[in-house]
Amino acid sequence: MKGSTAMTTLEAGVASTATNRSQRLWMYATMVKSRHFEALVKVAYLEGKQPMFNMAKGPIPGEMHLSDGQEPCAVGVCAHLGPRDAVTATHRPHHIAIAKGVDLNAMAAEIFGKQAGLSGGRGGHMHLFDPAVNFACSGIIAQGLGPAVGSALAATLRGSSDIAVAFMGEGAANQGAFHEALNLAAVWRAPVVFVIEDNAYGISVAKRDCTAVESNATRAAGYGMPGVHVAANDPDAVFAAAGEAVSRARAGRGPSLIEIETTRLEGHFMGDAEGYRPPGEVDALKALDPIPAYRARLLSEGFEAEALDRAAQAAVAEVEAAFAFARSAAYPAPEEAFEHVFAGDR
Amino acid sequence: MTEVRVPNDLWDDDSEGAISAWLYEDGDRVEGGAIIAEVMNEKVAFELHAPVSGVLAILSPAEEAVRKGQVVARIAG
Amino acid sequence: MTTTAPSRRLTIARAMSEALAQEMARDPGVLVLGEDIGKLGGVFGTTQGLLDQFGADRVRDTPISETAFIGAAVGLAASGMRPVAELMFFDFFGVCMDAIYNLAAKQSYFSGGKVRCPMVIMTSVGGGYGDAGQHSQCLYATFAHLPGLKVVIPSNARDAKGLMLAAIRDDNPVVFMFHKALQGMGWLGTVQRSITDVPEGDYTTPIGEAAVVRAGTDVTLVGLGLTVHLALDAAASLAKQGVSAEVIDLRTISPLDRATIRASAAKTGRLVVVDDDYLSFGVAAEVIASICEHGGATLKCPPMRIAHPDIPVPFTPVMEHFVLPNAEKIVAAVQAMFEPAA
Repeated sequence: MKGSTAMTTLEAGVASTATNRSQRLWMYATMVKSRHFEALVKVAYLEGKQPMFNMAKGPIPGEMHLSDGQEPCAVGVCAHLGPRDAVTATHRPHHIAIAKGVDLNAMAAEIFGKQAGLSGGRGGHMHLFDPAVNFACSGIIAQGLGPAVGSALAATLRGSSDIAVAFMGEGAANQGAFHEALNLAAVWRAPVVFVIEDNAYGISVAKRDCTAVESNATRAAGYGMPGVHVAANDPDAVFAAAGEAVSRARAGRGPSLIEIETTRLEGHFMGDAEGYRPPGEVDALKALDPIPAYRARLLSEGFEAEALDRAAQAAVAEVEAAFAFARSAAYPAPEEAFEHVFAGDR
Repeated sequence: MTEVRVPNDLWDDDSEGAISAWLYEDGDRVEGGAIIAEVMNEKVAFELHAPVSGVLAILSPAEEAVRKGQVVARIAG
Repeated sequence: MTTTAPSRRLTIARAMSEALAQEMARDPGVLVLGEDIGKLGGVFGTTQGLLDQFGADRVRDTPISETAFIGAAVGLAASGMRPVAELMFFDFFGVCMDAIYNLAAKQSYFSGGKVRCPMVIMTSVGGGYGDAGQHSQCLYATFAHLPGLKVVIPSNARDAKGLMLAAIRDDNPVVFMFHKALQGMGWLGTVQRSITDVPEGDYTTPIGEAAVVRAGTDVTLVGLGLTVHLALDAAASLAKQGVSAEVIDLRTISPLDRATIRASAAKTGRLVVVDDDYLSFGVAAEVIASICEHGGATLKCPPMRIAHPDIPVPFTPVMEHFVLPNAEKIVAAVQAMFEPAA
């Protein structure tokens, strides 16, 4: 498990000595929290959209990109981060926002378009901003990478050991901004960790049909930074790789790239009929759901079922409360649409 | 008078669908074989064809639930 | 327009796919590239059936690399081919703008006419269904403003097929916009009036020509894409109040058909322009300037713009629907024109 300019592969089941019990329990509970959040989003999203799926209808209109299956990527990385570390994410942001500690009530309210939402209803699910924990996301592929480099530079200039993490999908590794941002981060020796959640599909196009290399981790060498390939959708393996990259960044030794093979259990967006996936593929992936797998491992390594259950129940309760808050919260007045176009508008 | 039904084999299970758009209006003349409506089930869109030529009488408006085998329109030849 | 073939109705999505299929069969130099346009047939149904019919050499799913594949389209066009590139949401132009406005738009000019750029960029525009600020923009003015580009937007399936065929055959870069609310995708809802008879054979709709889609005498309503339908809805309401509205469908944004607009304004003397793009520095302003600076038409009252305000498209429906143009706003604007002066 060395950080170097050579590509490193981490297999499932690697437990770093640095992973302690409370962090692993936190990772488990946070994955449960995230999955339950998505489950309630799905219920609300489908309201008003049956029998005919019309994206404009219901309490949550527009597109919805769920993160089921990708939770290990979020918790394994965010376990190493504090509120001053900046995180940028994508159109599939919920698991990362939750792991970063975004205000759950305000996040749920934003998704429902309520005044109490993070942006007062102006942004919606793809544009969640929480400066209290330094989290932001964007719907344009790879456009969070440049800002992560900038946040990292700012951390350096103010003399701190804070870092930045940019999450992206594997499709983003083919977008110009990826290549520019990695090069710039290396040139500036910026404390950034670039994290690729490789779920094998960019909407309908498989990674192998649009990417010139088999593993995007090998691209890191082209930008003078270590590239780590995590072959298992496993919080402990992600934790180990992220720990190395985060330490490297905090110590002033520059950026890293981590590529995680994860699984997208739902469609690209809700409403995606997924006709482009081979029959049986999704069912096979659901059998590898990372959350029950992690629970089984924790139990086998001496965690008590009651402790896991208590943590899971607390997580579920927090999500239920957030959704109750969001559903009963008021909508903004329409005229509020004109506020905050510029700073100091209101 | 010919009935226009949602074909029994249009989708796999017994779940509901809905007509997402009628391409013609009530009272329009349609040609046999033409696509006259789009039907959605589980986010997949299917085509509904006119079995005969004639004047269309719509029974199921767009966005209402329909089942396979249901008569959704009639065509008076 | 009369046709001897049996009438058959298509959605805009199907009309676009049909145009592409017919032209690809006719001209081996036409190819299609973009994200999810192969197996999926396009997120908005624009390329249904093309991969099966023409194969992967001519129907290419690309990586998420807009700068590269739009740039590649410029090169394909310079090499004598006729590429049709799909930019999935026009909001994504930010990542490939150079290839569009510095390359495609300037090939003919920089080369003194020796190098042509016969390419089409087809792209989705418009909101109203909660897709928020990066997936709902119209951006008509942004592109109409740039020399060397033609920009078209059909309001119905018949014009969609005709404009697509015209765009592919045009030796210049054409931005072909399709409005999501009119596309006919079941999961987006659709405006019924956009589904029209579409002739099966070969025909083109001329680029640079607006259409008077409803004749009237008291006020001219100018629209493009979705707003044509809003104007027609408003015209129906106004008719019940005894006001006769003429509705113009621009069909081409650039080059703008100023002659048709001026003729209508000269006839009615009143003008309302409906534009779901950002208000300021927009298409509506250009239409009004075209009337005001020309010696001919004298308007009976100041012209009006109904447009999306100068704010990002908000997510929450109560805000989004408050700011979008709609038929009621158009009717109110026209009614105010007929109120006696204070």
